[in-house]
Amino acid sequence: MRAGFLAGVLLLAGGYTWLAFAELAWLSSAGRLGPAFFPRIIGVALMVLCAWSLGAELAGGARERPSVHWRAAAALALLSGLFVAALEPLGGLLAMAAYLAAALAYFNRRRHWQNALLAVLLPLAIYLLFRVWLGASVPRGPLGF
Amino acid sequence: MDLFANLLLGFSVAVSPLNLVYLFAGVMIGMVVGIIPGFGPSAALAILLPVTFGMNPASAVIMLAAIYYGSQYGGTITSILLNTPGESSSVASTFDGYPLAQQGRAGPALVMQAVASFVGGTLGVVLITLLAPPFALLARSFGPPEFFLLVVMGLSTLVVMIGGHWRLGLISALIGFALGTVGVDLETGNSRFTFGSAELIGGIDFIPVAIGLFGLGELYYALYSGLHVSGSGGIVQYQKERRFWPTRRDYAESNGALARGSLLGFVVGVLPGAGATVASLMSYSIEKSVSRTPQKFGKGAMAGLVGPESANNAASSGAMVPLLTLGIPGSASTAVLLAAFVLWGLTPGPLLMAQKPEFAWGLIASMYLGNMALLALNIFAIPLFVQMIKLPYRLLAPAVILVCTIGTYSVNGSIVETWLMFGAGLAGFFMKLHGFSPAALVLALVLGPLAEQSLRQSLTISRGSLAIFVDRPVSLAILCLTLALVAAGIWAHLSRRAPPQD
Repeated sequence: MRAGFLAGVLLLAGGYTWLAFAELAWLSSAGRLGPAFFPRIIGVALMVLCAWSLGAELAGGARERPSVHWRAAAALALLSGLFVAALEPLGGLLAMAAYLAAALAYFNRRRHWQNALLAVLLPLAIYLLFRVWLGASVPRGPLGF
Repeated sequence: MDLFANLLLGFSVAVSPLNLVYLFAGVMIGMVVGIIPGFGPSAALAILLPVTFGMNPASAVIMLAAIYYGSQYGGTITSILLNTPGESSSVASTFDGYPLAQQGRAGPALVMQAVASFVGGTLGVVLITLLAPPFALLARSFGPPEFFLLVVMGLSTLVVMIGGHWRLGLISALIGFALGTVGVDLETGNSRFTFGSAELIGGIDFIPVAIGLFGLGELYYALYSGLHVSGSGGIVQYQKERRFWPTRRDYAESNGALARGSLLGFVVGVLPGAGATVASLMSYSIEKSVSRTPQKFGKGAMAGLVGPESANNAASSGAMVPLLTLGIPGSASTAVLLAAFVLWGLTPGPLLMAQKPEFAWGLIASMYLGNMALLALNIFAIPLFVQMIKLPYRLLAPAVILVCTIGTYSVNGSIVETWLMFGAGLAGFFMKLHGFSPAALVLALVLGPLAEQSLRQSLTISRGSLAIFVDRPVSLAILCLTLALVAAGIWAHLSRRAPPQD
């Protein structure tokens, strides 16, 4: 698992370093250190450290077993991704209510009344806090809220 | 005299009715944040940053700072009653706090931790009052080499002392630096890594990344660890104890530990990167080594609870010194505070205390009041916080995601930043899962532009020679201190790995 994550970071670091070498100048037109100076140092150091750590990880060969609760974390991540996706199409208030209803139905099972109450009251409170009290921007949907 | 005049000015700002309301709201939120395991002050500060938009700058920063140092108080309640630290700086408080509670002494332990937090926190603020002005004066002589070395000191200390694997910590910091290079290069005006996106020209905003890493990432990890199914049945029922208040002997045993922990904590807190967790663990080791009865440690020694507790609170005060006088945060939490300062148009650094005295001294004065409020809250509102410990994660987690997401969107009304927060949340989960350091990433993201600018300026001044970092006495002193801290961190790691010699 960690080796896979390190490989992903190494890949991204490779792309970053390649761009730093290919597209950015080491010196500016005035002859001073240019925009590539810092990214090249960072990129190369990142690649070396990732490759070193990946090598050590593969040589160690230790395999971690995922937690039995990985489904709960995955479900919350999926629901929060869907919530972000729904923010602008549905509007802040409706997206919050829909997300919370779905999340509570999954995590707080068989407490239908409690879940329904929370799914209505909490989004309303947060909407009033941000939109009305603080005057901050909350996405407006087709219904205007 | 200047000192008293400044402090009076500060109190005149801090005791305005509105600021007092925000101060008490801040300490209350800080306490709640502290007692929720897996949810640290960095996350709370990042999430609540957008909520402060309607306030004036002094009120906003007074409230955010109160959340920051208030969380140090709250974390210990769960350490004592549940054997689960509310946040990392309260780990050392479980060593003797929980055994005390098991022996039927939870009441005295809770009161003594509140007293220790108050003494550590207040002594820390007294030292800020005395030392911040001369520190700010000294900092005025700092040039690019000193600022670059301070950034290096902060990050290398964090990476070495945070525990876990140093390579993974360093990779985390480098990722933060890399993210910090996105946007327009301030010296040449060239775009870097923007891929033609208008949203990226201004760089990667720190707030969505911090909310994602500390808010979402921590919550996903908490669920992965099964916190949503673990009940709170293990809470020690202190209400049934006959004696709630500590005895004279408890105070007598704790005096030395209080003084040593507070001073050590403040010094460690001032050093960028070291922080409250390191201070509390160091204090525990020192108390054990100076104790006449070291065999009692781990079995319910009051000094083993009081020392770390005063140290972590003094450290959180000490960390305000480099933040206020240099503009350099030493931890993820103070990095979020720095973001709040910048958001309000305040530039922490050598000139802040001279140019905005009402703000800087208002904040310092509010910390005296905040510590007093926290002492009272800690002793008299414990039953309330015990009820909050019982709030199930299965309700808390979905609700916090709601606030994180709407809070991020509300900063700039940007859906791109909201997706960035979500991406940072996933990255934060995997970083925590695999032993990387989200704190190092955030600190490097905040300090990256300063590091790059000061390194380039230093090398331009010296015409490319690295000797500039050892030629100047102050930079040489910072370099030596950095090397000493790194060596101390490595030594501590090696001694932990060495087998016990009984």
